[in-house]
Amino acid sequence: MNRGPFIFIGVLIIVSLSWAVTLVKPIQEAGNLSPIGKGEDRIPTRLTGLAEQGREVYQELGCVNCHTQQTLALVGTDVERGWGSRQSMPIDYIDQKVVFTGTNRVGPDLANVGNRRTEADWHYRHFYNPEITSPGSNMPSFAFLFEKREIVGEGSNRALALPEAYAVEEGYEVVPTRKAEALVAYMLGLSQAYEIEEAPAPEKLAFK
Amino acid sequence: MNLICNLFSSIFPSLEGDGSNRDREQKIDASMRFAVLGLIKGSVFWLLVASLLGLIVSIKLHKPDYLSDISWMTYGKVYPAFWNALVYGWLFNAGLACVAWIVARLGGRPVGNGPVLAISTVAWNIAAIIGVFGIFKGDQTPYRMLEFPTYAAPFLFASFIGLGIWILLAFKSRAYRSSFASQWYALAGVFCFVWIYTIAQVMIFCMPAQGVFQSVVAAWFGGNLIGLVVAPFALAAIYYIIPKALGQHIVGYRQSGIAFWSWILFSSAAGLASLVNGPFPAWVASVGVTASFGLFLPLTVFSMQFLSSLFASFSKIWDTLSIRYVFYAVVAFIVATSLTIFGSLRGVQEATQFSQFADGVRYLFLVGFAGMAFTGTIYYILPRLLNKEIPNTPLADLQFWVQGLGIFTVTVALVYGGYAHGALLNGSTADTIDILKHTDTYLFLSTIGASIFAVGNFAYAVSFIWILLSPRTEKEKSADLIEAAPELEFPN
Repeated sequence: MNRGPFIFIGVLIIVSLSWAVTLVKPIQEAGNLSPIGKGEDRIPTRLTGLAEQGREVYQELGCVNCHTQQTLALVGTDVERGWGSRQSMPIDYIDQKVVFTGTNRVGPDLANVGNRRTEADWHYRHFYNPEITSPGSNMPSFAFLFEKREIVGEGSNRALALPEAYAVEEGYEVVPTRKAEALVAYMLGLSQAYEIEEAPAPEKLAFK
Repeated sequence: MNLICNLFSSIFPSLEGDGSNRDREQKIDASMRFAVLGLIKGSVFWLLVASLLGLIVSIKLHKPDYLSDISWMTYGKVYPAFWNALVYGWLFNAGLACVAWIVARLGGRPVGNGPVLAISTVAWNIAAIIGVFGIFKGDQTPYRMLEFPTYAAPFLFASFIGLGIWILLAFKSRAYRSSFASQWYALAGVFCFVWIYTIAQVMIFCMPAQGVFQSVVAAWFGGNLIGLVVAPFALAAIYYIIPKALGQHIVGYRQSGIAFWSWILFSSAAGLASLVNGPFPAWVASVGVTASFGLFLPLTVFSMQFLSSLFASFSKIWDTLSIRYVFYAVVAFIVATSLTIFGSLRGVQEATQFSQFADGVRYLFLVGFAGMAFTGTIYYILPRLLNKEIPNTPLADLQFWVQGLGIFTVTVALVYGGYAHGALLNGSTADTIDILKHTDTYLFLSTIGASIFAVGNFAYAVSFIWILLSPRTEKEKSADLIEAAPELEFPN
């Protein structure tokens, strides 16, 4: 142990071994999946262009620090909570250049949020101020994704329908910016609601 | 082995004349004073930044309106900025300062290449600033401990190469052929960072692995950054400080080799345990769980060595500032590693997965163990490097208790609150907001802890600036400062 090269080689061997066994091997085995089917039936389903931009907003704002995107069906109560109907599988993520599996659930899982919250309006109000839709939530307001502006003429049809307690002063309206629209499109597109045969789901697990 | 025995037999100061030793040590210190001080300055700066960000993060968790109008201060940005400032800012600067100084001192010979170390230090800190600003700007990546935008990574890597080369050269030019455990850990930390950072950058960003495998690589990197880089630096500091400041050799030093290799082996895969139950190959997570359990072996050896050595001179622990920090670090290390091991059990993970539990353990390991070990070592280094006494010991005392209390509070809040939160989230179908209300107390408690810790850090900064700026007294100018307290300074 008295020589640098000895320590260097020892550490190199151990770390390389760990790298080869736990990273290279599984990637070789399962890291080259292709989508199943084509067109409408393609698994996983594709996001629209706007939703793809929403992914970038999601990354930029660091949503991943509070929200996971992985449904667990083997343990826990994700399925009972309606966060998904089956275990998330590697194939669900193959189109994603950057994945948001996440490690923290300060807020709920979002892997299937597009299935359980289907109204764009709900999302807009939720991002503008989570207190409107989810009182007591510790999600911060994303009001900076919206623009408050004077109503000119008829007013925008994209303006938020805010409840009275949160309404802005007379003559003004709150309109989502491009970023908010992209983010909401992404939320609506987040779904793993297609069948994957090998994915464990509660009804397939005899021991549950 | 013979030489290692020499190392310890020479702990008794009577064996060698103090004067000549002190003279040689001062030459070594002088050869790296500027650069090591630069690292320490960087570490204090980043500690203040990190404690401010940490406070903001914990306030936001129970008061979501706080600073929410500012787009670059949203929780999703401050949270990764906090952890990255903590690790790449504070712990790397502090750890590298300790390791560089220890390697040079153990080498027993003045080290050249000061400019390499100084320039690399500046480059490292600029890279970390770019990285943190990148996160605020919105360029973060979603992988834990790799959030720095991709454009900051090459700078970070290149400057680390400079720092690493300096440490290797300092090791290479040592006067004694033997080496001490501190030196092994120093070298291992340097090698590991270069290797794991390369792997993570290549497999996630340059030639990205498909889908979820990026998360697997990130989990592997995150675990290794803590286990194979930060922890070895802190262990190097502990192995050095116990004999030097306590005058007590490491009990059972012969077992250090086993502890070293088993720590490297099991740590290198332990981080994968966090992938349990997710959309990842199940056996990869199982390897992580098994490896976490393997940590029992080095943990046992470390506990025996450090606790026996410390308890052998128990009364001195509370008299010696550095040793007090090291004692706290050792206890935090044992608790945090035990929590890592038990936390990787599938049964426990079913309750704690995705909760603040993991953050609490990580906080204790990084701040309570590594941070306190580095702070203690820096309090040992500073008077020697500057040839000045610590100007205000009561302030440093206060800092220890305040920081210690802050870390304890944050850890308890996150670990216990995380467990309570996770058990309800994963084990019931209760409404998520009701669960949140249920754990609000803990989130509030963590803010109190973070504020206490921030006060301690402020005291640290004051102490540090004080010792930097205070003029030398006549006694200190005579350069015999350390000799006056021989029980606190033992030759190599």
